[in-house]
Amino acid sequence: MPEANSQTDVGQLWRSWLTETERQWNSFFNDVMGTDSFGRFLGGYMEIYSTFQRLVAQNMERSLSTLNVPSRSDIVDLSERLSNVEDRLGSIESSIRALAEAVGHPGQTAEVTQLRPRRTRRPRAQSGGGQS
Amino acid sequence: MATVQTPQGIPLPEIFRSEVAKRNFDRLRRGWEVLVDRDPPVVGATPKDVIYSKGTQRLYRYRPVTDEVYRIPIVLVMSLISRPYILDLSPGQSLIEYLLREGFDVFMVDWGVPRPEDSRQGLEHYVLESMPRNIEEVQKATGENEVSVFGYCMGGLFGLLYKGIFQDAPVANIMCAATPVDFDGMGLLKRWSDRRWFDVDRLVDTLGNVPPDLIFRSFEMLRPAERWAAYARLTDNLWNDMFVKNYRLFNRWVYEQIPFPGEAYRQFTKDFMWENKLMKGQLDVGGRRVDLSTVKCPVLHVMAEHDHIAPIAATRPLTSLVGSKDKEDVVLKGGHVSLVAGRNAWFRLWPKLAEWLSVRSV
Repeated sequence: MPEANSQTDVGQLWRSWLTETERQWNSFFNDVMGTDSFGRFLGGYMEIYSTFQRLVAQNMERSLSTLNVPSRSDIVDLSERLSNVEDRLGSIESSIRALAEAVGHPGQTAEVTQLRPRRTRRPRAQSGGGQS
Repeated sequence: MATVQTPQGIPLPEIFRSEVAKRNFDRLRRGWEVLVDRDPPVVGATPKDVIYSKGTQRLYRYRPVTDEVYRIPIVLVMSLISRPYILDLSPGQSLIEYLLREGFDVFMVDWGVPRPEDSRQGLEHYVLESMPRNIEEVQKATGENEVSVFGYCMGGLFGLLYKGIFQDAPVANIMCAATPVDFDGMGLLKRWSDRRWFDVDRLVDTLGNVPPDLIFRSFEMLRPAERWAAYARLTDNLWNDMFVKNYRLFNRWVYEQIPFPGEAYRQFTKDFMWENKLMKGQLDVGGRRVDLSTVKCPVLHVMAEHDHIAPIAATRPLTSLVGSKDKEDVVLKGGHVSLVAGRNAWFRLWPKLAEWLSVRSV
């Protein structure tokens, strides 16, 4: 038994040490990263990151255009047009559904819209009677 | 036949039968499962139907599990940068499942993963167009005029902005969890996005949507030692099935960040981080002034004591901004994520939410 207790204690000590060490390291890094110098460093990093991304994108666009291959922006344009078509289809579909409902033919409504549970539920305190 | 013994005289079979050996074996087995990500945990499994969609956005209705539900439906609004399944993590650990069992009619606005062409979507798209449209669809599906809105993190902000712009919006109750309003209290995130060194225009103009990795790293840098401590805790608890299951569930969610729509990110940085306009009552969205003092419906505001992403300093003033008479602040133990999901939430937030909402949903 004393052996088991000492094992538990060692485990517990280690867990406490881990929690405390984590807290201290987080606090240390937060202090460092809360300084103006770190903010400037981060800003500089983002600047380089953005510039690099822009240069890569420009070069890639140029190369793909030379090879007569659709570029990322072409795909994005296409995707945008497809989204517009989807939206239009969606609104046509809902107009048809509304029209069908108006003339008394609900048609193919989604299964879920037919879920009509009774909306009469009361909180336990009110329905239980006597509970406050 | 003599039993094989160790030099200390302990029979080997006994050692293998011992708890220590079993735990070590379990550790190895589960460690391997985690490493190779075998059988990824199932998330967002509560049965639901899409009742409206536009672009990447979906409005879900979860299938009621009780014959009788509260009159006013509840609409959960997610943040733009996180997957909605945190509110429906796994069977038995799902806020949505809990609410359904408590007799609520539950809907969720999931913004989806923005595509590159969505980078031009600003806050006005979400607040002025999507929110009213989704509420309208909920009204159609339920036949009820009023709804309750529950927003997690930025989702709470959307609920507030929507009600603060459309004073006659049919919102009966607003519940916000870990929703920052005073961006001067955002700590390091505010510091790092200081206009003196952070050129948000250049970033958004170059990248369009802000990559999830940037968002994830900035959150991770708030607690740099957390990941390594988590690995150590995982190793310590590899024998524990429940611990490993939860680790994998949360880990999956944490790593599955989604891009921040570029224009919305630009507005967030400028209007919230730099100018803190919501706090000053100067925020305009799409030319419409947000006036939170006109929010008169009941408001429940839940904050996490150890929230490092939306610290208490940033969330606390929320109720002081709204004009409601029926408003309540609740500070619960836990962090940004454990506030809404997991074992802590099961005992703390969820019962509170259901109790507060049930009496206001009849």
